[in-house]
Amino acid sequence: MTRLRRPPGVGLVTDEAALYAARLPDGPIVVLTGVAALIWSEACAGDRETVAERVARATDAAPDAIRADVDAFVTDLVARGLLE
Amino acid sequence: MNESEVSVPLPVRLRFGHAAIQHLADGIGADLLHIKGAAVDPSLRPGGAAGTDVDVLVRPSHVEVLDRAMRQHGWRLYSSFENGSPFGHAQTYLHDAWGYVDLHRYFPGIRVDPSRAFERLWKDRQEIEIAGVGCRVPNVVGQAVLLVLNAARSPDRARGDVRAVWAEASEPRRAEMEALVADLDAPVAFAAAVGRLERFRGERDYRLWKIVSKGGSRSAEWWARFRAAPTIGMALRVVSRAPLVNVDRLAHRLGRTPTRGEIVAEFFRRMVRAVREAWLAVRHRGARQ
Repeated sequence: MTRLRRPPGVGLVTDEAALYAARLPDGPIVVLTGVAALIWSEACAGDRETVAERVARATDAAPDAIRADVDAFVTDLVARGLLE
Repeated sequence: MNESEVSVPLPVRLRFGHAAIQHLADGIGADLLHIKGAAVDPSLRPGGAAGTDVDVLVRPSHVEVLDRAMRQHGWRLYSSFENGSPFGHAQTYLHDAWGYVDLHRYFPGIRVDPSRAFERLWKDRQEIEIAGVGCRVPNVVGQAVLLVLNAARSPDRARGDVRAVWAEASEPRRAEMEALVADLDAPVAFAAAVGRLERFRGERDYRLWKIVSKGGSRSAEWWARFRAAPTIGMALRVVSRAPLVNVDRLAHRLGRTPTRGEIVAEFFRRMVRAVREAWLAVRHRGARQ
């Protein structure tokens, strides 16, 4: 089981509108709203392999229809150093 | 991921500013205390945190190394210690992602040596989380004292702070604050903020805090600074700075780097203004006699 987390050098702020994450101390600030914020939260909440299923449950989407996009997005967050 | 530009609310940006400078300081072993804004305990700011910048008080011996690291990571100097404030206490930086940071090397109104003052506040420090990063802050009593001292320099904007942290404070809390004010040797500025300044008429910095808290001409302010300086050397330094053109401020006013001619012109404008203020003061005194 692979569980992602926010690395120590990444700051995180949430408000009612969005989730904001930034690599410190240089930035930039990445703004995640809607499904993007949901994917971040689910990526940090459980097994990486099941993120698409959990996002699908929360959005009433078909897992197979969103899996590729969700996985690509999580991979991008990792590549940017925002999750590890 | 969508790379389109979206606006980040200022309070969010400032929280990241606190986190970014703390992360940087941790990496180089520099000690700093976050003061004001998001670093203030909610009990002292019933209306919530406000402000347009991040303020940190840095251990004086660590200022140089932190300054160097900040410049390496995208903070650009906006105004220097020499040109930022007449007190010369803070330097302002601007970062594309985090906005403004005021780096304080001491806090105006505190008369003990800046290193001792920092150590006194550092001794009782606490840690709070801002943007997911552990940030060191003075304890609540220290925060309250700094808010009051800050109000002495900005009476209109910070009057609410004085009411919340002093006028409405319990007797035990007031006693703790007064004990810290004594440790920091900051009675005159503190008194200026809480309306007790006249008790300190004999102190060398009485006039300075009277002008700073109530307002006065520029020349009167420089004269008060001269009188408040604890040593002749510092007094002469104050005098030598008085007629200098604040190049940073002039640049911000013009929106570009001023030319040599504009700096010279500004120098003479300041001289004329100082003479005019002195003349008006003499006339005003004469009219009262």
